[in-house]
Amino acid sequence: MIRGLWTRETVAIVLLAAYLPLALFWLWFGGMEEVQRLALAALVLAIWHLVFLLARAQPISLSAVITALAVAMLAPEGLGPFRLILGISFGAVMGELVFGGWGRNVVNPATVALSFLGFGFPGFPWPEIMTPVAWAAIPTAVIGVFMGVLPGGVIFAATLGATGAVALGVLPSFALPAAGVVLVLLVADPVTSATTMLGRWLNGLLYVALVILFATGWQDAAPVQFAVAAALLTSLAAPVLDEVALALWYAQRRRRHGRS
Amino acid sequence: MLQFGFRSGLTLSFPSPPRAAPGVEDVITEEAGIRPPHGTAPRVTLEVEDGAAVAQGAPMARLRDAPDVCFVSPMPGRVARSVLLQGHRLSEIVIFGETGGDTVTHPTSDAETEPGLRRLMQRAGFWPWIRRRPFGGMPASDERPAAIFVMATDTRPFAPDPIEALAGLEEAFSRGLRALSMLTDGTVFVCQHPGPALIDRSGADRIRTVQSGRRHPQGAPGLRIHALCPAGLDTPVWDIHAEDVALLGTLIETGQLPMTRLVAVEGTALRESRLVRTQVGADLRGLTHRIVHPGQHTLLSGSPLDGHPAHWLAPSDRQITVLPRETSGAPSHWLVAALTRSATPKPMIPSAALDQAFGGMIPAAAFVRALSSGDDETAMKMGVLSLLEDDIALADYVLGGNAHLSELLRGMLDRIRTEFAA
Repeated sequence: MIRGLWTRETVAIVLLAAYLPLALFWLWFGGMEEVQRLALAALVLAIWHLVFLLARAQPISLSAVITALAVAMLAPEGLGPFRLILGISFGAVMGELVFGGWGRNVVNPATVALSFLGFGFPGFPWPEIMTPVAWAAIPTAVIGVFMGVLPGGVIFAATLGATGAVALGVLPSFALPAAGVVLVLLVADPVTSATTMLGRWLNGLLYVALVILFATGWQDAAPVQFAVAAALLTSLAAPVLDEVALALWYAQRRRRHGRS
Repeated sequence: MLQFGFRSGLTLSFPSPPRAAPGVEDVITEEAGIRPPHGTAPRVTLEVEDGAAVAQGAPMARLRDAPDVCFVSPMPGRVARSVLLQGHRLSEIVIFGETGGDTVTHPTSDAETEPGLRRLMQRAGFWPWIRRRPFGGMPASDERPAAIFVMATDTRPFAPDPIEALAGLEEAFSRGLRALSMLTDGTVFVCQHPGPALIDRSGADRIRTVQSGRRHPQGAPGLRIHALCPAGLDTPVWDIHAEDVALLGTLIETGQLPMTRLVAVEGTALRESRLVRTQVGADLRGLTHRIVHPGQHTLLSGSPLDGHPAHWLAPSDRQITVLPRETSGAPSHWLVAALTRSATPKPMIPSAALDQAFGGMIPAAAFVRALSSGDDETAMKMGVLSLLEDDIALADYVLGGNAHLSELLRGMLDRIRTEFAA
């Protein structure tokens, strides 16, 4: 029979293509250490996917490469392989694989891994996002939204919110590069962000609000650190935002039709 | 006049060879099969024996619990065989055509009253052409719908244009519409593409025109019903194709129900496409055997999205799709199979394509999640009762066919029906 394209793996491949500019710029401006970290993260994730394939018959997914990229880009520096492996394993298994694999997870595994590393080993410095790498987040967002694999509402709302906040002077501009990269890598994940139109706008605005709160109120936090924390709280709140949007939609339909 | 977001939906392009000749051919196939609406098997009493000669429009079978509702012969001919399933449930009745037979004329004197009109529609064999929601199938003989949707738009790929089917039948169409408005206390919605209104609205305050764009699924009846007058357990909604309404108008005027309809024959396994006017229940092989490519192929009654493999044109279908049969190639390597297949279906990832597959009218990801987790209550709140399989066939197609949304929807509707029948 005739079948369309948008299976899980197609989405993963298109997402990967969208993240290419970001990944290439990051590798170009980074060094050997970055390459090693990416390879290590990919290897650990591949092993865990294989374990769950054999133990639970869960098909493996290319999304592991995206998770590896996010962890390698944003993890604290100088952790050493043991701590990194521990954090990635915790994120991949507890954040994604025990729920049934990519598509059934509630939070992004990279967000879980990064939060685990950040809270577990607070002594290590967070990476600086270089300005050219942050600019590369823009083509990533454009490709992702144009292909329909990144939620446009989240990215538009966050961009508009951040622009307004910078114009009003409440969002310090040193937070912007990290917040932008975390937005496209973690917050705008199609699975764990909100799925209704209104929910997506609320999701983007909530992320910006949390970034503003942490940037102004969290003393001594690195930009990547508070952006990741904001991403974690936002993805935990996403189902609630969806529920709010759906409740409004039900109420609107009940008013219009007298029944749902 | 209501308008919808014309830009929502998807532009689908399926390959099909060009038409050999412009215009419409009249083809009556030598065999025809009467089948109940897809997915149903009503209990019937057979009216004719195998080998008996029948006129066009003669009743072949009646419903056991509503003897007025008939399945009629689409052409004069001879009954070849009738197949009943266990419990006198109708499977199919096959007829060989014969030339020069009669056509049954029904008395139309009391078609001005609602009981008379119902009786006429049921005895003439029109009733199985009506589809009801929730749950699908034809309505009960005494059901009064909350609204009736007349679909003068069909956005499915390869669908024949209903406006072309209505050409020359405008008067019969408005007569049919007036008759339909007797059957409901609510509104009769006429869904059409932007353009001159199909109906003259003077004197018909309960008939309303709705415009919709040309992208699928904007012309899907379920989504229109969902947006305008959602079907509920005690508020059934009917939908009828506009051409059938015109045929109803002819039936009321002449007492004879025309059994031919405009049908598009398309698909990649054809050498040329054609647009034919053929009878209900036409033999799909009879319509295609001269124009298919050599080799194995599958005949679908319906569009490439929602068609079913069949021998006979189903009562609600106006398209035939001919596709090359999928040959099961060499079995994949065990490792590849292990990496790609699993016991549970892979989850769907929300994407813009999925949102557009529901025309932006339903929160797509939340609805698909409710469907696949079997959450009946949430799905009912979102309007699952207005939908049938062919409305979500596009979403199934977009997701690559491994989400099995149509089966999930049918299972959910059946579950809701048994739960609320108790």
